[in-house]
Amino acid sequence: MTSWAYIPQLLITGVTIGAIYALVAIGFVTIARASQIINFAQGEFVMLGGVITFVLLNKGFLPYPAAALLAVLIVILIGFSLHRLVIHPLRKASLLIILMATLGASFFMSSTSNLVFGSLPKSLPPFSGSEAFHVWGISILPQSLWVFLATSLLLILLYLLSHRTFIGKAMEASSTDPMGADLVGISRDLMLLMAFGVSAGVGAIAGILITPIFYTSYNSGTLLGLKGFVAAVLGGWGKPSGAILGGFVLGILESAGIAFIPSGYKDGVAFGILLLILYFRPKGILGSPFVDSRRW
Amino acid sequence: MKKNNRSLIVILLLFLFCFTWATPAYVAGKAPYKIGVNLEMTGPWGEVNKIVRNTLLMEVEKINGTGGIGGRPLQLLIEDNGFDLNRAAANMTKFSRDKEVIAVIGPFEDNFQATTRAIAEREKITNIIICPSNPKVRALKQKWSFNIAQNDIIVSEKLVDLCLARNYKKILVFPAQIPLAQSLADYFKQFGEAKGMKVIVSKETHLNTDIDMTPQLIKLKPILEQEKVDAFYACTGGPPGGVICKNIRSLGIKTPILGTHAFGFGFFISLGGEATEGVEFPAGKPVVNPEQLDEGDPVRPVITDLNNRLKARYGTGADQISGHAYDAIGLLHASLKRSGDKATRSQLRDSLENTKGFPGCMGIYNYSPTNHDGLTKKDLIFIRIEGQKFTRVKFPGFE
Repeated sequence: MTSWAYIPQLLITGVTIGAIYALVAIGFVTIARASQIINFAQGEFVMLGGVITFVLLNKGFLPYPAAALLAVLIVILIGFSLHRLVIHPLRKASLLIILMATLGASFFMSSTSNLVFGSLPKSLPPFSGSEAFHVWGISILPQSLWVFLATSLLLILLYLLSHRTFIGKAMEASSTDPMGADLVGISRDLMLLMAFGVSAGVGAIAGILITPIFYTSYNSGTLLGLKGFVAAVLGGWGKPSGAILGGFVLGILESAGIAFIPSGYKDGVAFGILLLILYFRPKGILGSPFVDSRRW
Repeated sequence: MKKNNRSLIVILLLFLFCFTWATPAYVAGKAPYKIGVNLEMTGPWGEVNKIVRNTLLMEVEKINGTGGIGGRPLQLLIEDNGFDLNRAAANMTKFSRDKEVIAVIGPFEDNFQATTRAIAEREKITNIIICPSNPKVRALKQKWSFNIAQNDIIVSEKLVDLCLARNYKKILVFPAQIPLAQSLADYFKQFGEAKGMKVIVSKETHLNTDIDMTPQLIKLKPILEQEKVDAFYACTGGPPGGVICKNIRSLGIKTPILGTHAFGFGFFISLGGEATEGVEFPAGKPVVNPEQLDEGDPVRPVITDLNNRLKARYGTGADQISGHAYDAIGLLHASLKRSGDKATRSQLRDSLENTKGFPGCMGIYNYSPTNHDGLTKKDLIFIRIEGQKFTRVKFPGFE
């Protein structure tokens, strides 16, 4: 069967997009662990990262790295203000209401981006060279390597942040034992603010990494956010390791699935896989600390 | 109390400010001819439609500055449909119920025009469809709607000419899942095979929302290699055009790429970057700098004039979008001039249908009761992307 011949090339594509899904999923999980909130504006951080870098690069006379760094900082500030303006005032409301509020914030961000930065799709130049190199008949873009490298680095940094620093440990504590954290004097509201900053930053970096390969427009965050959410649930809702695994599994399955089914069903594959896996493992691949599968 | 009054006045002034900018100054005196404009001012094509609106406003100002039509000025009523079918239909109905509105321009997108055409037919009001002609509704022979863009038939014919000139014998078509692209692919296959070419229409398609075509192209790569295909036809419009070029080159495929007339927008190059180098397609004349057009071309002075005025006022020159806007208002102006200052909706329609040899930006328009498409193959030119710019290419015998 000729379909198998495509697999290696499709794997490369799958790993690249999988790395991005993993970063979006990590963003979801960071906030969920700190507060059990599902932040549906996560995809918009990705979009804003790409769009703001594009604007700074083309209008702000900044060199590429400076523009990217500034964009990440701006998006982190946006993440902080999302917490201060939307989540914090609603801290006494039920989770469902906060979830709706994040959905509203997501629409607000994408529409604002449309009005302020324009509606046409935007693309960034690749970090280094656009010429693909060929290994054993497979072509790999330099940017794909950048994505993989930066994602790995970022994941290690996040691990160090949560396991080796005081603030990271405080964040961990407030997610594993909220009451205990309160008793030892950790401000969980402040920790949630930090979580929003971290997930906004991770989202923005993901956006800057993929914009040179694909493109970003004001409405591209929604689908990426949904796919990232699927990845987080797939791997085990609330587990960082699950989010990373889920991201790569989703990216690879989605891409490799094309070899066997018509490409028109590409987006459907993600959600089909999610359903199938959740039928048999409701807690996701690695199990979730939040989901109790014996509910009914 | 006093403070309250002041804030009320401020709010009122703000309102006035907000609502007056949309209506251009017109010649005082006689009642204006009102023209409804139904555009996607917000949504994915917001930036593109802003060009349409700007050009329309500039043209109406110019027409009114020269006395309008027998002293009656033109007035634009601009409504945003927010890239929403329901709002596009509601705007169309609203315009058609307003007895003073004589014609409606827009909507811009292919998806919405079938609906507004049907409303135009029912309410008996002229509807000028900007972009592009929907193949499925052509068979309806609607009396009240007119197309101003190049249709799929002439674009396909011109592309077959391009293949003949370049001596491409085998073409692989990668169509989008939109009606216009499917029909472009079908006509290309039909005309191409009549000329002895081999046209393979791929079973793999793509959506307008796909941000990565690599998986589809990986499946097409073996076909390109085994069948020794001469050229790859990216039969699509909007963002996928640039994405396909980028993805296909990143897979190391060197096959020449052909495109549709929808590639003739600046953002296609900025999206595709270096990968768009060497892409060839047929498109309307405003895509290239007017200096590249033939000396004797009747369209050249029209584009040059529009190009200069747009540059002076908005800083960007003419392109296919502003060309469409110019033609829409220009055709209406010319038809109204023929039917005088007391034209009714049906008089305008008849007059528009009798348009013969009107030089617009996109070409020479000829309408007739059986032909509401206006343009012909002669109004298209071959474009090649060289040095990240649209450049005209000429082939002896094919133009």
